[in-house]
Amino acid sequence: MRLVAGIALALAATLSVAPALAQRVDLTLEERTVNMNGTDRPAVTVNGQFPGPLIRLREGEEAVIRVTNRLDRSSSIHWHGLILPAAMDGAPGFSPGFMHGIGPGETFEYRFPVVQSGTYWYHAHNLDHEQRGLYAPIVIDKREAEPFRYDREHVVQLSEWTDERPLRVLQNLKRDPGYYNWNRRTLVDLIRDLNRAPDGEARRAIIRDRVDWGNMRMDPTDIADVTGATFRYLVNGFRPEAPGTLLFRPGERVRLRLINSGAMTYFDVRIPGLKMTVVQADGNNIQPVVVDELRVAVAETYDVIVEPREDRQYQILAEPMDRTGWARTRLATRMDAPVEPLPPHRPRPVLTMADMMMNPGPTGLDRGTPLPERDQPGHVAPMGGMDHGSMAGMDHGQMQGQAAAPAGQAMDHAAMGHGSMNHAAMGHGSMDHAAMGHGAPAQAGAHGPGTPATTTAGGMQAHAGHGGMAMSDPVVHDTGAPPGARVLSYRDLRQLRPDPESRPYDRIIEVRLTGNMERYIWSMNGNEFWRAQPIVARLGERLRIRFINETMMNHPMHLHGMWMVPDLGNGAFNPRKHVVNIKPATTLDVDVIVDAEGDWAFHCHLLYHMESGMMRIFRVARDGAPVASAQQPRQAVMPAGHNH
Amino acid sequence: MDQRPFALGLLVAALLVAVLETGAASAGSAPAEAGAPGRRQEARRTVEVVMRDNAFEPASIQVRAGETVRFVVGNRGEVVHEFNIGTPAMHEAHRREMQQMMEHGMLTATGMNRNAVHGSHSEMAHDDPNSVLLEPGKSGEIIWRFPRGGTLEFACNVPGHSESGMVGRISFAR
Repeated sequence: MRLVAGIALALAATLSVAPALAQRVDLTLEERTVNMNGTDRPAVTVNGQFPGPLIRLREGEEAVIRVTNRLDRSSSIHWHGLILPAAMDGAPGFSPGFMHGIGPGETFEYRFPVVQSGTYWYHAHNLDHEQRGLYAPIVIDKREAEPFRYDREHVVQLSEWTDERPLRVLQNLKRDPGYYNWNRRTLVDLIRDLNRAPDGEARRAIIRDRVDWGNMRMDPTDIADVTGATFRYLVNGFRPEAPGTLLFRPGERVRLRLINSGAMTYFDVRIPGLKMTVVQADGNNIQPVVVDELRVAVAETYDVIVEPREDRQYQILAEPMDRTGWARTRLATRMDAPVEPLPPHRPRPVLTMADMMMNPGPTGLDRGTPLPERDQPGHVAPMGGMDHGSMAGMDHGQMQGQAAAPAGQAMDHAAMGHGSMNHAAMGHGSMDHAAMGHGAPAQAGAHGPGTPATTTAGGMQAHAGHGGMAMSDPVVHDTGAPPGARVLSYRDLRQLRPDPESRPYDRIIEVRLTGNMERYIWSMNGNEFWRAQPIVARLGERLRIRFINETMMNHPMHLHGMWMVPDLGNGAFNPRKHVVNIKPATTLDVDVIVDAEGDWAFHCHLLYHMESGMMRIFRVARDGAPVASAQQPRQAVMPAGHNH
Repeated sequence: MDQRPFALGLLVAALLVAVLETGAASAGSAPAEAGAPGRRQEARRTVEVVMRDNAFEPASIQVRAGETVRFVVGNRGEVVHEFNIGTPAMHEAHRREMQQMMEHGMLTATGMNRNAVHGSHSEMAHDDPNSVLLEPGKSGEIIWRFPRGGTLEFACNVPGHSESGMVGRISFAR
């Protein structure tokens, strides 16, 4: 059905020769039952389809999309990654004239010029409707020729389904954040670890580790907080037991448009027997890079080209990062090809303290600047003799060397020999001092009896040394790929052409990603959405956001309406993205090209995190509200809810 | 990004001279099954090849058995490209070399890195007679004597380029 709709729309697009011609699409939202696990459950469908129909647009035309809401609640459609006027963005509570979304029975007409091309998607901007199926692909054809060739294309849309009501899932998480965690480490695990430890020092290290974890209010197996315990993972709406079929003829070059429309799930994607040439990231052309695997963060899109040469079936495997299920589809030469068995799961990653070393634990508002979203982080009052001035010179490129070190997943703390650490080998020059220093006071109380409290920078370094060899690289993913397999990293993403907007940033703000896992509260700079002030940016500036992830979860940060450019050391070739993943306990600088006036949503795209408060208004003002800069004195005003 | 257009231009020119000079003398590392460098006076036909990001025009080329062809190649893209004549296996091997050059910083998106080339990896300099590597805006030429037949392709082996379509078939007319 979706394919047919796609073809029809493609034809319509082809017919509209004049670029200014409007592309007209009608969408109706209504509830219908689906049956994924033997029980009828209410899904939110678009034109009766789950997931919704593909919308195909053409660069240069005007899109006119009429959305009729036949649900019993207000809803919305947000055009994810599209550059358009704020009033057309479809984010209730943010977009002007769209404060309450589309009410039941109402029709809203979106109208906007299509100014880009590539693979995007649309979805409801609320947890309940999006999780229940209101998501679908957007494909925008380029006006000129693409800088790559292919004979055929397929959309591979990854997502999840739960039989539970999404708001019920959220309640469960609020009650017990480990509710969906089958793999929680038990007391039995602890005793087994202790029995295996070679000596007293090793046992003490294990206990210390446990105490540290407890103090961080997080659980080391929380790779994901909603898992296969409730999720069924889908590709284009199909379960892995009965996958769909993507046809090809041997020797063809096939473009796959990978879209992660999951609410909570990171997928590790591979196609055994095929290399993938990544040609687009988040809809933007990149210098093609050939990989064996890639991790697709929530809400990202990647376009890859594959060349299946043999007349056989190729499985497209998408394994959730926490290994609690599979999403899959297949490339096949005929529709009735038998379904092949799934391979065994890759080992489940276990986060270690190393993943938490640099940004230790949520500490509320007791660090950072009073208005971190407005002040230069360089204004932070120094603590423990830390040299904050050195931050400006922080070079993420230097981190590259550490990519070669084994990532910390399988680290054995007991065997690490804490007494004999080589601090010199750690490369302090590339560490994020801002993140280290401020966590120190909290760290002092985070140690069990018999462990010296660490309150100084030196102490922090010793602590960091605990996992020094495995210090987390902010963009390299350990997917458990076999040796020699190439896994895509953000560092591989280079724009095809130097970015015309490339220039030094005007201003830095600090956005700490914070949370309290035990209470399932997620926030930015310690403030949940409803307690927080908007982040104010000036039209025309290049604003650098220094993301400091203090939690041990990945957060796919999404900004509506404007491109984000992560600083990956590629200069003018740094990629433009609409979602930038911030790995646990890492810091990443991301520039925003502030070129769109209005109020925009800025949030973690893990929907349950967004719903729990990890969201802000990103306000772009023409005249500029009073915004602190390096030259101005720091503002003494505290935002509402500040609890210093 | 190490960009020194002037120096790079000189380097590419030097490489071209190397291509032309070594051309007549030996086939370099190209196995005979792909053909051999040809002499200018034997080339009765000139084929113009335009390289864009990331595609060749024309998309395929037809030659006669044993023919010597002069290729005039222009890079109208914004990143570095290569025009390379060889068998699929030769391209495969060369792609691995280019990948290494990229990883060692000898090859960047826009050209060769002169310092790195003159460093410890100089054996990897890009000077095979069956190929020409061109910065954006530059042009060059290859004179190539084709064999009697075989499976040949022209490709850009800059990492990712042939994989995303910058490769064409060379067919033999009867």
